Amino acid sequence: MLRRFSLLLGIALRHISKRKRQTLVAIAGVGIGVGFFLAVSALMIGSQNDFVETLIDAAPHIIISDEIRSPTPQPAVLAFPDAAVEVRHYKTRNEVRGIKDWQGIMRTIGARSDAVASPSLSGAVTLRVGGREEALAIVGVEPGIEAQVSDVEQYLKEGRLRNLETTQGGVIIGEEMASRLGVRMGDIMAATSARGVTRTLKIVGLFERGRGQFGGSSGYVLLREAQSLTSQPFVINRIGIRLDDPYAAEDIAKRLEARYGYKAESWQERSADFLSLLVTRNVIMYTVISAILLVASFGIYTVVSTSVADKRRDIAIMRSMGFSSGDLQAVFVMEGFTLACIGVLAGWALGFGLMQVLGGIEFNIQGSTETIPLDRSFFQYAISAGASLFSAIIAAWLPARKAAQVDPVDILRGAV
Amino acid sequence: MTPAPLIRAEGLTRVLAVEPPVTLIRDVSFEIRQGEFVAVIGPSGCGKSSLLYLLGLLDRPTEGRLFFDGEDTTDTDGNARANMRLARFGFVFQFHFLLPEFTALENVTLPMRRLGRLADREAAARGRDLLGAMGLDGQEHKTPDKMSGGQRQRVAIARALANDPALILGDEPTGNLDSVNSARVIEIFHDLAAKEGRTIVCVTHDPEVAASAHRRIHMLDGRVERID
Repeated sequence: MLRRFSLLLGIALRHISKRKRQTLVAIAGVGIGVGFFLAVSALMIGSQNDFVETLIDAAPHIIISDEIRSPTPQPAVLAFPDAAVEVRHYKTRNEVRGIKDWQGIMRTIGARSDAVASPSLSGAVTLRVGGREEALAIVGVEPGIEAQVSDVEQYLKEGRLRNLETTQGGVIIGEEMASRLGVRMGDIMAATSARGVTRTLKIVGLFERGRGQFGGSSGYVLLREAQSLTSQPFVINRIGIRLDDPYAAEDIAKRLEARYGYKAESWQERSADFLSLLVTRNVIMYTVISAILLVASFGIYTVVSTSVADKRRDIAIMRSMGFSSGDLQAVFVMEGFTLACIGVLAGWALGFGLMQVLGGIEFNIQGSTETIPLDRSFFQYAISAGASLFSAIIAAWLPARKAAQVDPVDILRGAV
Repeated sequence: MTPAPLIRAEGLTRVLAVEPPVTLIRDVSFEIRQGEFVAVIGPSGCGKSSLLYLLGLLDRPTEGRLFFDGEDTTDTDGNARANMRLARFGFVFQFHFLLPEFTALENVTLPMRRLGRLADREAAARGRDLLGAMGLDGQEHKTPDKMSGGQRQRVAIARALANDPALILGDEPTGNLDSVNSARVIEIFHDLAAKEGRTIVCVTHDPEVAASAHRRIHMLDGRVERID
């Protein structure tokens, strides 16, 4: 079987080597298709991964907040589910906002080895420096835990998150806010909450400009500080969770919500609109790229079908020698397949080269040097090869069937 | 005791399914014994070649049966027929029909490698021997376009002998050769029949070939006119 295969392959290779120009054109077609497939998909997937990474890490993977998606069912409705009772316009109890039994939730998450949870309380205060006033949304956190859950630390231009613990009344605000108030690191401000509590806060850190979610008008303080400023001791209203596997977020969020009733929002839910955009982008990309590979296989079709047409005489003589029609079909499929294999290798080299060029381009964004994010995974090489070889087999198989159908008697009769 | 017939044709008929149908062979019956050199002769278009293709299992009869070595080959499938051609038949055509991309030796070893009975090295050795026996020493690595018509025809005969066939089928094997080369081919065929016991069936216009054959099947309009 192996010997027969190598014999037929040898015949196929001999045929190919005698028609150099067509062979080169077909190989170039596949090569260019595969090369650009790799370059384009590296760009698209690379930028997508970069983007998704930013999406994932911009905030905790799951955020449990003290909101409830639908009001708690009324006891009367629960007691008589099938009764003709409808309760409308009822008044809900005016609860203290905050997550009840948050310690329980923390313990549940703490029991998992792949997750870290950080409790926080957000509220609002008014900052006052001299004659100026600014509203500030404060987030009270445990710095040690929060640093594990979000990327806050990365976006600090000055100071560190830990400074909140070491300095009494420490606060971290954005650079924009600081310049509006005319304050700098180490300056002291007065903060008054809606409940009328007033404290002095000292700036122990500044967020970089342009980090929307942190800068602008929000600031970080110690959790205890936030609780006492808003007069809500022991209360928290948000739990941020970071997972080792961000893609498990959706599933875990659902289970947490089902168990505790509080809204648990995964990053996927938060960015559903972006994610659906990415799906559309991928569909477009793979459609275009597949079309390139498909067109490349036309070259193989042409080579194989001319080869079959040119070799009708040889097909007849081989048939008379005792080669079966299956043998001859195999010879011509192998011709196409060999061309595709060489084309794929050339395409890999081309794609690799294009990626090197693209990856070497540097550009400046707001002072920092960046390169184009590229996905250089082996997976793309495998997909491009798989798709090309598959289409090549089809492209070669169609004309190769004709080789199998050649009736040697027709050829011999015509020649003699 | 006469040897059993190698080929037995019983009422072979071949009709081309075109409109109107063309009858190439009409009710042909004969027997050929092992070691015989038989010439099939007749005017152009009398069905000589068509009969040869039927005997060589390249074509199927519309009616009648064909036995080879006692076996009924009429209803065998394509692969079985290909294997039969590979292992037991050798063809020699008028226009030598070598594969142009392959050297003389490669052309000769191709059927051996396809059959797979010999290792590649043994096949090459046998190929050299066969070419040597045809007087083609030193020509092994030439491609067909570098050889003369007579040399090519001898390569084709060597190739026909590759798998030690019982039956050699020639379709005008001398039709394209000068008298010297023709005589040589006729001599080779006689040696193959007499010394190696191979059976040879040759379609020919060449009176030399016809005269030297043991028997002649005369055909006319698709029928066997007489056998002498």
